Amino acid sequence: MKKELLIAMSMVITVVVMAYIATLGGGLGPLFSDVRPLAKAFLSTTLDPEKPLFTAMSPEAVTAIVWDYRGLDTLFETAVFYLAIIGAIAIYRDVNEKVGLKGSGLGLSKIVRVVTKVLIPINIAIAISIALHGHLTPGGGFQAGAAMAVMPMLLIVVFSRYFLLELKLTKGLALAFRSIGLTGIALTVFLPIIIALVNGVNAYIMQNQMKVNAPVGLPAFIGNSLISGSLILYNVFEFLAVTFGFSVLFLLLSIEEDIVKDQMRGEVSEH
Amino acid sequence: MSTELDIFLANLSLISLIAIIGVSLYGILARPNIVKKIIALTIFTDAANLLAILVGFRRPPSIPPVLLNLEPRATDIAEFSASAVDPLPQALVLTAVVIGMAVNMLIIFIALQVYRLYGTLDARKIRRLRG
Repeated sequence: MKKELLIAMSMVITVVVMAYIATLGGGLGPLFSDVRPLAKAFLSTTLDPEKPLFTAMSPEAVTAIVWDYRGLDTLFETAVFYLAIIGAIAIYRDVNEKVGLKGSGLGLSKIVRVVTKVLIPINIAIAISIALHGHLTPGGGFQAGAAMAVMPMLLIVVFSRYFLLELKLTKGLALAFRSIGLTGIALTVFLPIIIALVNGVNAYIMQNQMKVNAPVGLPAFIGNSLISGSLILYNVFEFLAVTFGFSVLFLLLSIEEDIVKDQMRGEVSEH
Repeated sequence: MSTELDIFLANLSLISLIAIIGVSLYGILARPNIVKKIIALTIFTDAANLLAILVGFRRPPSIPPVLLNLEPRATDIAEFSASAVDPLPQALVLTAVVIGMAVNMLIIFIALQVYRLYGTLDARKIRRLRG
């Protein structure tokens, strides 16, 4: 214990002394005085109605980059997310989560249950608000999904996983909602092309606002409220995909160890 | 806040992040227990994300990359792009955090399966197992 404390203290002192020496030598002085020209280009076009060919029509530059300027990047990140969850499900392919279904009465004490019941609607409201305001304020589909995925985790810890099964939130249902989210993303990717085919003009994949040679963009306003074209659609569908993707993982991870071992042993002896 | 202190704090964050990356690499390479390797890997991911955010930082007075005016004039946009921090690293980190969590879950599932099949999480023993 004393040895670890000594190592930690010496590391802290080394870091502080090195930072002080670097400051005396000028250090990172000019590094943070200005941002790169690329960042300036993003910042100056993120919401500019006077430059309709370049703007993403979103006041939040981060979401504009995530789903417009660098949209394909995020699309393939979503593919990585999809494959990671499919890999985890493949490990549990023969485990039936409904085996050993017990009634209610499990879980933590009454105080924790009541507090959790109060927290759940707040949690849902915050997550949906983050998703729907993703193009206006910091946040978006990924963050909203992570905030919403706290809810199945909380329910599993407080009420046991059988509570989720009684609510019919099984692996199949969560996978179905996740597929709806991913299909929605795929449809939104091709939506500008479908609109352009109907109108007989050109369009790009993942196009948001109108571009050179592609005059059809998605509407930036509905009525008086700013929806930033495709950004709100991407945020909502990504929210669905992330929420239910993590729900599947939490459901599988919370299956009791002896149930999993029994079913896996059965699988081994069958072969 | 004086410029000297700003530069010192920026140096301190950068050098401590490098130190954290060093510690986490030690954990990934030298610790035999797979659970400790996973913990070190998450620390490494977070340090890398923080480093990316730090690269896009701008010295104060700086503002977040959110335009507060929904009907901006040209002067508003010029002022905004002259004082906001770099949004690109933030956009990359935003996805990397959630994707990293999904990949960590996959690694945890694999580690759990390894423990079920081999009865150990020691990387030195798992290496010797065959079949």
